[in-house]
Amino acid sequence: MATRKARQGEMLESVYSVLAMVFVLFACVELCDAATVLDVYRLIQYDLAGSPFGSRFASLNHHASSSAFAPGVDLSRSVVISPVRELNLTVFREFIEMRRPLGGLLFLLPKHFDRSGKQDAEEGDEVDEGKLRNTLAELEDLLIHASLPYPVYFAFENDKVAEILADVRRNDASSQPATATTGGFKLLVSTSEPKKLASTPITNIQGWLPGLKADDDVSQLPTIAIVASYDTFGAAPALAVGSDSNGSGVAALLELARLFSRLYSNSKTRGRFNLLFGLTSGGPYNYDGTSKWLRSLDQRLRESIDYAVCLNSIGSWKNELWIHVSKPPENAYVKQVFEGFSDTAKELGVKVGLKHKKINISNPRVALEHEQFSRLRVTAVTVSELSVAPELLQNSGGLHDSREFLSESSVIKSVKLVAETLARHIYGQQGKNIEIFADGSSLAVNPSYISAWLDFLSQTPRVAPFFVKNDPFIASLKKELAEHNVEVNVHQDVLDGTFTFYDSTKAQLNIYQVASVAFDLLLLLVVGSYLILLFSFLFITTRGLDDLIGLFRRPPSRKVKTA
Amino acid sequence: MTVFHFFNCAILTFGPHAVYYSATPLSEYDTLGTCIKAALVYLGTALVKLVCLATFLKVSENDSFDPYQELLKALIGFIDVAGLYFALTQLTHRNISQNHKFQAVGLGWAFADSVLHRLAPLWVGARGLEFTWEYVLQGLEANANLVFTVSLAAMGSLMWLRKSKPRALILLIYACAGILATMPSITSYLRRSLGWHLPEVVGFELSASLVMAIISWQLFSACQRPLV
Repeated sequence: MATRKARQGEMLESVYSVLAMVFVLFACVELCDAATVLDVYRLIQYDLAGSPFGSRFASLNHHASSSAFAPGVDLSRSVVISPVRELNLTVFREFIEMRRPLGGLLFLLPKHFDRSGKQDAEEGDEVDEGKLRNTLAELEDLLIHASLPYPVYFAFENDKVAEILADVRRNDASSQPATATTGGFKLLVSTSEPKKLASTPITNIQGWLPGLKADDDVSQLPTIAIVASYDTFGAAPALAVGSDSNGSGVAALLELARLFSRLYSNSKTRGRFNLLFGLTSGGPYNYDGTSKWLRSLDQRLRESIDYAVCLNSIGSWKNELWIHVSKPPENAYVKQVFEGFSDTAKELGVKVGLKHKKINISNPRVALEHEQFSRLRVTAVTVSELSVAPELLQNSGGLHDSREFLSESSVIKSVKLVAETLARHIYGQQGKNIEIFADGSSLAVNPSYISAWLDFLSQTPRVAPFFVKNDPFIASLKKELAEHNVEVNVHQDVLDGTFTFYDSTKAQLNIYQVASVAFDLLLLLVVGSYLILLFSFLFITTRGLDDLIGLFRRPPSRKVKTA
Repeated sequence: MTVFHFFNCAILTFGPHAVYYSATPLSEYDTLGTCIKAALVYLGTALVKLVCLATFLKVSENDSFDPYQELLKALIGFIDVAGLYFALTQLTHRNISQNHKFQAVGLGWAFADSVLHRLAPLWVGARGLEFTWEYVLQGLEANANLVFTVSLAAMGSLMWLRKSKPRALILLIYACAGILATMPSITSYLRRSLGWHLPEVVGFELSASLVMAIISWQLFSACQRPLV
């Protein structure tokens, strides 16, 4: 009997130890389930001359709420989900200005803005598009210039998120906002704290098409420069594709390079001007890249530049294009250049206007690219659809600047305008009635080439600090320019220290449907009472009711015995 | 909070087994050894079933009801019955009465079944933040399964351990046992062919288990009368 009991005890012990080991093993299993996982893009975080801007946090772990920034609601532990379509900007502006505490912010962008190709294109309201674009532009402007001590994310709408938002709204309408005790949806983004990026690399790509030098010519041929900046800045750096600013400029520059390389490939049609093509970086940051690139150029080359044409935002104009200059309009060079453009414009049936803005060397603000040339005493103009020079970080290609608001025909018209004007100047055909790049000829502007590049640019976010080392996009620009130019050089530099950026631009958002603590307690109560009922039922049916009552009344009988 | 949910579902799934053991005279007669032996036999049976399923069954692409496959699964399910037979008759138990033997075997069997089929999903799934009703329903299913197994063990003990049975009831006993043994096929038919969702299937299982429990109780007490 005793040995049997001992053996049983041993067996029990071994069972317990096995169970314990199994539990320890199971504890290592990862939890990874969520009803919905979403790609989200963080608001940019940067310091400008030491002052912080943008969203200062990245990780998010709060309940979802959908109240539209109404005053008097405590939102410090909830994330507000706000579709941009229904955003009321004045209320939001007040909310930000009052610096109310908030757990987090999630903006939902309409589906058709998602260019990653994961979702089918849908027909949208034409009427609302303009309004939506304006709302987005204002929202971006507001967010870029505010310092928000909570994480702000952008995401694209899809069916699941719409369902969740409807549920959240229903919950909000019926009871108090969701917290730990009332259930609802929990939004979780688990990333590390954003770190400062050490330095922002600037890569300028230049292409060189040498002109025809006659045998007895000793002096340097004059050069014409065509420049466009290719990087962007926007509220959500992972989405800042800048189709118009300055994707249109880059596509136009590449098409111009292609056209002139065709002309220059044959020595009979090579002009007596060198052509310098420049794709510069650092555009939104006072064209710092352009300045550094120009200073790195050989002085003789710089002095040989007759004039430079900078292309900036030429993708959504209808009839009027602007030529911005820094030298006064009475200046002979400016007059010549402008006349060339107006003549061509007249033939194309469009209008060009002249805008003059004096540069102030002591002011570090550079609003348009040609000013960097002017500071080094090179005649330059900027061809742009903008009539007013933009402010810092304005018109630098953000969320609102997407492919659908771009008009290919505008880019094609601009290319024609610039190409004809330059060609007439190069070949000395000013004032003559001749069309070099006529439609249908072998030198016609190629719409599919422009369209393909616009598509590619509209899918590539190009914010300078977030380019990786040996970025494939920059490599592809270099390769393309090398196809049309004789010599291509890459100039690397670093952005100056006024701007400091922080990483963490993309993340994954997990949305969990959680039950409240009250529910768990209720369930515990129900299960507990079920087990107690089961116990009593089985006890009574097998051993009788007296025994059950006897369970609670043993001590008194003992006392009776001893007495 | 979610470990809380795991705890709730765990006590719903495994609590009744412990309650059954402690509330009935099983604890008084110290039948834990029988329970554990039955659990081990279940483990062996499960392994054999797995090997058979892997060898003979095709993996179907869609979730429809294939009669041939289901028949095969039911046949393999009878290995369960063979296992129970082994546990009831071949193992040497301590001197416990018939009454308690089948209960202990059924309890050990059902407990092993619950642990093997439900503990892992519970541990991995119920601890996450996401809330679903799935694990509560799984717990209810475990309860129904306990009742089914004990009833099947009762029928088994009647069939193989009792030599004298009233003539009229023999057919009923075999019919009952047959229904209990094919219960997995029935639920799978309901789920696939008729497209019932988990709550409805669990509801059906709970009510069926109550009905079968009452029937087997009556049969068992009817067979006990001559010996009294």
